[in-house]
Amino acid sequence: MAEYLGVKVDIASNDRARHEFLEAAGEGRLTLQKCVECQKLRYPIMTACPFCMSADSNWEEVSGKGTIYSYELVMHPIHPAYRERVPYPIVLVELDEQREYPTLDDGLRLVSSLVDGSGNPEDIEKVAINARVEVEFADLGDGLALPRFRLSDDVPEHELWRLPS
Amino acid sequence: MAGRLKDKYAIVGIGQTEFSKDSGRTTRALGVEAVRMAMVDAGLRADEVDGMLSYSGNDSTDSPTISSDLGIRLNFYMDVNGGGSSTEALIGLAMGAIEVGMCNTVAIFRAMNGYTEARIGGTGRQTPVFRGASLDQGIYGMNSAGQSFAPSFLRHMYEYGTTSEQVAHVKVAHSKHASNNPKAYYPARVTVEDVLNSRWITKPLHLLDCCVETDNGSALIVTSIERARDLKQMPAVIMGVAGRVSKPQAGYHWTRGPISRVAGHYAAPIVFGQAGIEHADVDVTGSYDAFTFTTTLQLEAYGYCAEGEGGDYVSSGIIELGGARPNNTSGGHLCEGYTHGIALVAENVRQLRHQADDYCPNWQNGEHTYDYSAGGCRQVKDVEITHNLGWASPPTGSSLIMRRP
Ligand SMILES: [Zn+2]
Repeated sequence: MAEYLGVKVDIASNDRARHEFLEAAGEGRLTLQKCVECQKLRYPIMTACPFCMSADSNWEEVSGKGTIYSYELVMHPIHPAYRERVPYPIVLVELDEQREYPTLDDGLRLVSSLVDGSGNPEDIEKVAINARVEVEFADLGDGLALPRFRLSDDVPEHELWRLPS
Repeated sequence: MAGRLKDKYAIVGIGQTEFSKDSGRTTRALGVEAVRMAMVDAGLRADEVDGMLSYSGNDSTDSPTISSDLGIRLNFYMDVNGGGSSTEALIGLAMGAIEVGMCNTVAIFRAMNGYTEARIGGTGRQTPVFRGASLDQGIYGMNSAGQSFAPSFLRHMYEYGTTSEQVAHVKVAHSKHASNNPKAYYPARVTVEDVLNSRWITKPLHLLDCCVETDNGSALIVTSIERARDLKQMPAVIMGVAGRVSKPQAGYHWTRGPISRVAGHYAAPIVFGQAGIEHADVDVTGSYDAFTFTTTLQLEAYGYCAEGEGGDYVSSGIIELGGARPNNTSGGHLCEGYTHGIALVAENVRQLRHQADDYCPNWQNGEHTYDYSAGGCRQVKDVEITHNLGWASPPTGSSLIMRRP
């Protein structure tokens, strides 16, 4: 049975695309749907292309490298799985692929967790907009994994910005 | 060019139970009391209401039950799933239902035990499981409304230099208004320092940046302007309405930007277009304040200030009683209580009637002191036009412009 932070992960048997996404993650690959017609990548998992309405897509492996576009630092937990993990960051990661496309304001952005080398929530003092990150995978069991991110050694393109304390 | 139904419909009755954290009653009792109060307010008998609309997140009681308790036989009803921004959308649907002849007069209600039964973000008592779309956000610890909106708020701070201190003024202003509202759950005035010193919920949101959760039932009655003229109260005439207007890819709006620009950007031309007015014509706004930031970003998105200047706008004094265009004169969700936006529409109806139920001895007669010190008046002088800015989430919102006859 798939599980994350002690909580059951229940993927409907008819949700084929989600299985495939998490199975690829289980093999250490971050894959996104790519439209067969207009060739655009998209996230999260969708059943048609939001840019051209095509119903056909293939999985494309992406680099898993990106930049923190925005974030928050959760101090008061809501979900039982996160009760012991505060404070923890939630990050909005903009992947290097398809930045500023199809418009300057668009991009492939993923809500995710920012974790340290041990898989624990990253030190909240280190979280910043424009910080460079790379994907890592948390094992869920059953050959599935969940993509998460950690800070990378890449040099940021823009100055780091943190919420003033 | 104004809308085809401009000035053809009106809100003729409002009703609200008390705001509490312990109603000790069912949503059925709350809904019935609110609808009944709205009917009494309008001077309508049971056989004069034949339409009903409600919204909920599976925490309400449906229209067949509420109407039956009051002896109302319906020609039309819908009970829809929805939270914030549903009120204005349902007002538009009520107008449409009447316009095509399905019914004549519609009661709209929201009844929720929002504190004692169904809390936003959950009570933590359910057996947790990650499934379906919760694998896109919930599994990463993004579960409540505040957690889901916070990255949009933070991005606004990054892009425009908006500060915690600026948005704290929203709470300060609304607490000032609540101090003159006998119904308010939190009537105490607070300072910017109080907001900044309150504990963090999820940065950049402090506790006092977040609204209160309450038990409450509230109701409104919509009918045609012709019928409205025969009723007890001065009608609040509907000039324009926009319902659940969305940003691109509303189900996961992060990928389409700018994420700090909220749905009001798309709703503004619809509602102002129908009403045929300018921002300067609006005397009072009711911008949904689930959080200090929601009011700020909406006022900006609707064009009350330039993009990026929401922080300056809300901290300028404009939105306070005595300012040029007060917002949420009841104290709003931050201070009065929380019923998913319907109370903010009821408040603007009161403002248009010049009957804000404040501490002025003769408010029922529209007599006010306009002394806005605590325990005093909260009626804005000479209100002619109000604007409600409903919020569901950054990518979805509704809007309503009303005027005095
Ligand atoms: Zn396509």
